[in-house]
Amino acid sequence: MNRSLLTNPYLLILPGLFLAGFIIIWPLVQITEIAASDVNRFGQLQGFAGLDNFRAVIADPAFLGASLRTLIWTVCIVAGTILISMPVALILNEDFHGRGLARIIIMLPWAVSLTMTAIIWRWALNGESGMLNSALRGFGIIDTNIQWLAQASTAFPMQIMIGILVSIPFCVTIFLGGLSSIPDDLNEAARLEGAGPWQVFREITLPLMRPFLNIAVVMNTIYVFNSFPIIWATTQGGPANGTDILVTHLYKIGFRFGKLGEAAALSLMMFAGLLVLTLIYVRLAMRDTAK
Amino acid sequence: MSRKMRRTLWSWLALSPLIVLILFPFAVMFITAVKPAAEALQSRWWPSEFRWSNFAVMWGNTNFGQALFNSIYVAVASTLLAMAVSVPAAYAISRYRFRGRGAVQQFLLISQMLSPIVLVIGLFRLVVWLDLLDSVQSVVFVYAAFSVAFTVWMLQSYFATIPADLEEAAWIEGASPWQALVTVFLPLAIPAMTVTAIFAFINAWNEFVIALTMLRSQDSYTLPIQIFSLVAGRYTIEWELVMAATLVATVPVAILFAWLQRYLIRGLALGAVK
Repeated sequence: MNRSLLTNPYLLILPGLFLAGFIIIWPLVQITEIAASDVNRFGQLQGFAGLDNFRAVIADPAFLGASLRTLIWTVCIVAGTILISMPVALILNEDFHGRGLARIIIMLPWAVSLTMTAIIWRWALNGESGMLNSALRGFGIIDTNIQWLAQASTAFPMQIMIGILVSIPFCVTIFLGGLSSIPDDLNEAARLEGAGPWQVFREITLPLMRPFLNIAVVMNTIYVFNSFPIIWATTQGGPANGTDILVTHLYKIGFRFGKLGEAAALSLMMFAGLLVLTLIYVRLAMRDTAK
Repeated sequence: MSRKMRRTLWSWLALSPLIVLILFPFAVMFITAVKPAAEALQSRWWPSEFRWSNFAVMWGNTNFGQALFNSIYVAVASTLLAMAVSVPAAYAISRYRFRGRGAVQQFLLISQMLSPIVLVIGLFRLVVWLDLLDSVQSVVFVYAAFSVAFTVWMLQSYFATIPADLEEAAWIEGASPWQALVTVFLPLAIPAMTVTAIFAFINAWNEFVIALTMLRSQDSYTLPIQIFSLVAGRYTIEWELVMAATLVATVPVAILFAWLQRYLIRGLALGAVK
């Protein structure tokens, strides 16, 4: 009996697969049903509504703003993270004194929950008594306090900066994994042939890092697109929805305004977008496995 | 030797702007946490004295103990539940070639990428349907289910590095599959299982959106929600207490993580890329 239990892979997989499948499929079915229904304020479904909810979502001017900002948010954070992480990973891959310590410091933001990080920054960016203002005044960089979170034009860039800061550890991790797979003698051979450091990077490191770079871009895009706590815990999408991205917009229409039908419709639209990104990722990951 | 010194200097110099930015919030958190209440709102960096009693005041005023207990319970219970279903699944995926194995792996990869936030409306319905709203059990269940994809993926990539020959040798020696599993495989797999479990624990410990949606009263708040509730929608925020709470909630996990990060590098390199 033990034998059959242990050697039947389907039995072994079933509980895990059931749990992982159930938590996605059941809510997805519910969301689809809600999105196609007329829903009252108490969350009761009142008949088929066709595409009305989807039309209402798109007609909402806040949706356009949030979509645009999601694009800026995702592109800026992913690009910024990759551009900073690559040199950081190259440095951390070299042997120098205190490298272990440097690695731990660079990885630190990953260890702290985004909520806590965002709350700390909210305090550090406080207009009256925030320590960023006092530090900048101390160094003579600014004369008067800046109300960082009081207007979207300063709040949103700051949120993007926080987003980059917390995304770097993951990206550096992926790059370090990639760099460690490049044989040392390849670099040395190139140097002996007279290639400069920049040439070695362009001609050898970068092409070999391509699969890792791809995966870092796709995974980061998915994480950043879904990132909720940074914005929610600093400004809750305010002031005047000026820092809303799609996930905070979705949360607001669902749980603040109680428009469940529209929230479900928006969820489905975002889900479809994510699925496309994910399929790209799976193709990249599987292609590397196949090699 | 002097070449290495020079490289050390340049490396630290190049990393310094990033390191300053990373350490800045930690400095803000630490300094504010030990400021006397009257100085917290003054824009001075250094406190006149270190007020360690802030931590005791924070513990008494902010429902911290209950939230800490909830967080520990939720993280431990969801990790155990996830591991209980993930270990057999990962074992099967790494040891057997069976029909549908590729499909299962693809499904796990895809579901790892789907964040709870786009499903939150449906999850809310699910929890209401199960009559678990405002109960920590709802969060345990949702966290466990969402971490299965990650834990199976991590585990199977580690398990695949444990040679199957060892178990086969045990079979030939006359051990039953069960004996081989317990005496040969499990001891070798324990490090991988521990590391994976700790990452599931940290993810559950830090989660925000699901807890914010499902937990409605102070009795069931986990730490991120409890601390968030100290700053959200309040006119007066006692920042020195908020930062003290953040510090206590953050530092133990940060130390654990700093210690473990090299295993994550290995696991990700094995699992996500290779």
